[in-house]
Amino acid sequence: LRRLRGTARPDRLVHLLMPEEPPPGPFRRSFWRSPVRGPWLTSVLGLVLLGGITIMFVTGLLSYDSYNPDLGGGNDYTPGKGWLGFYLFSWPAGPTWLYRVNQGVHVTLGLVLVPVLLTKLWSVLPKLFEWPPLRNPAHALERISLFLLVGGGVFEFATGIINIQQWYVFPGSFYTLHFYGAWVFTAAFVVHACLKMPTVVRSLRRRGFLRELRVDTAHTEPESPDAGSLVSTAPAVPTISRRGVLGFAGAGSLLLLALSAGQSVGGPLRRTALLAPHGQVTGSGPQDFQINVTAAEGGIKPEETGDSWRLTLMSEDSGSSAPVTLTRAQLLAMPQHTASLAINCVEGWSSGNQVWTGVRLRDLARLAGTANPGAVFIQSLQERGGHATLSAGQIMNPDSLLAFRVNGAELSADHGYPARVILPASPGVHNIKWVTNMTFRS
Amino acid sequence: VRRLTRWYGASPLHLLVLLACFAIAGYAATQLVTSRPESVAIWFIGAVIGHDLVLMPLYSIADGSVLAAIRHRAPKLPAVPWINYLRVPAGLSALLLLVWFPLILRLKTHYQESTTLSPAPFLWHWLAVTGALFLLSAITFALRLRVARRASRRRER
Repeated sequence: LRRLRGTARPDRLVHLLMPEEPPPGPFRRSFWRSPVRGPWLTSVLGLVLLGGITIMFVTGLLSYDSYNPDLGGGNDYTPGKGWLGFYLFSWPAGPTWLYRVNQGVHVTLGLVLVPVLLTKLWSVLPKLFEWPPLRNPAHALERISLFLLVGGGVFEFATGIINIQQWYVFPGSFYTLHFYGAWVFTAAFVVHACLKMPTVVRSLRRRGFLRELRVDTAHTEPESPDAGSLVSTAPAVPTISRRGVLGFAGAGSLLLLALSAGQSVGGPLRRTALLAPHGQVTGSGPQDFQINVTAAEGGIKPEETGDSWRLTLMSEDSGSSAPVTLTRAQLLAMPQHTASLAINCVEGWSSGNQVWTGVRLRDLARLAGTANPGAVFIQSLQERGGHATLSAGQIMNPDSLLAFRVNGAELSADHGYPARVILPASPGVHNIKWVTNMTFRS
Repeated sequence: VRRLTRWYGASPLHLLVLLACFAIAGYAATQLVTSRPESVAIWFIGAVIGHDLVLMPLYSIADGSVLAAIRHRAPKLPAVPWINYLRVPAGLSALLLLVWFPLILRLKTHYQESTTLSPAPFLWHWLAVTGALFLLSAITFALRLRVARRASRRRER
């Protein structure tokens, strides 16, 4: 009995159930042969990810906010967010480039970080086969958090990359999955960064960053085996230096950047985006710029957009006048304004600036009888989606238009004929096409 | 407290930080899995297994077998270490395929329907970039070989 009581300490219990000697294969440290694996390489890659993922997190939160989910009415795909939306603020309608830059950075940086993430995960793979698998409760909890970290990280990158290629195979709405997945990943990421920071500092102090960058393959030596369990106890002859590994990952990042950034920058650089969904130039006509929902896909029937089309303006305010119904000719007779704005997609690409002509949303608000609009709910002929609620800032911005023409030409069916919304600094999906109804409220 | 710390295996702060992590992750997860819990769980677990136990062993084995095969077949290997001139272009090409395979392999996506753009060019773009990477690598290797040969000739003299 005394012996048994003595074994009640978890570390001893583990030893009782699990042999001290690991089984042959990946559970033995000598299985891992790479001489460059070790805390130095992992620390450098970890620091790059710390910076990169932080930017991804911030741009992601801003992107989430830019939909103004608090306005409801088709904007909120995550009504169960609770305090995960603690920071939400009314998204500003300027400067014009705000959303374009935020989203371009989020998507392009996400692509650029892929090789860094892959190299980082390669560098720590022996940890998956640690022996004993569970040393004590602290170790067990930390390993669960690592499951959330790796699972969440790969999940976030995979869903993002698959979504920009419009391959909708993930289980549910991208927006919802990517948002909640981000919080699972971020929680595990912050904890991991906190717990590992002392190791990072120690490893970089011991070996020095710049000093190691001067070492070529021939002079590359494994770290001391007591520097951590990542260091091989049976290192092979090096075939690549540590700076070589970093250069390899960096080259992958640069290649992805060079082959995709053009879709967000636009202009003559668009053609350089050889591997990005919106790198193709379709022509040089006034309507030859990127689209993401065609009239056919939106279920738009030609008879709905002909002479019978009407725009209906309403006000939800008490005591407001009856709905105002306008024909296209009546709308074209109103004061027309011109704004140079780009359509900037959540997928990271931009149409580049186009010259839009139409009536100001704030003029339509006045016409509807709402002098100080707080929001407007916009509906369209589009069967799925095709509605959004815009904020006061978006309505009152002088560049926010209900547009009828683009680059001097009548809108084409795919660009939203007879009328579409175009907004500065906003997510592309809020530039509703084939508009039919606008319901203002104070 | 000391006995508890010893039992736990780390400082109480460690426990506190991890519990905070699980609280936030758990809160998000309950919202994440509301619609299709099994599918979301499969995606999460699949992400770990797919990367750690499929993708990484595959490329590690590929790397190791190329290294072994060429070492055995070519008795007279060039003086300049050659593996990275193969590893880098192949790795970069594989990276591009890994990121863009739905478009490159023309999987059934909404791409053409939504954008009116054809997915046809992506395969050719990827092949062209791959070719350029290998060409660039071959040229660099040839230059390095020449420099190395000259140096050894000078040493012989």
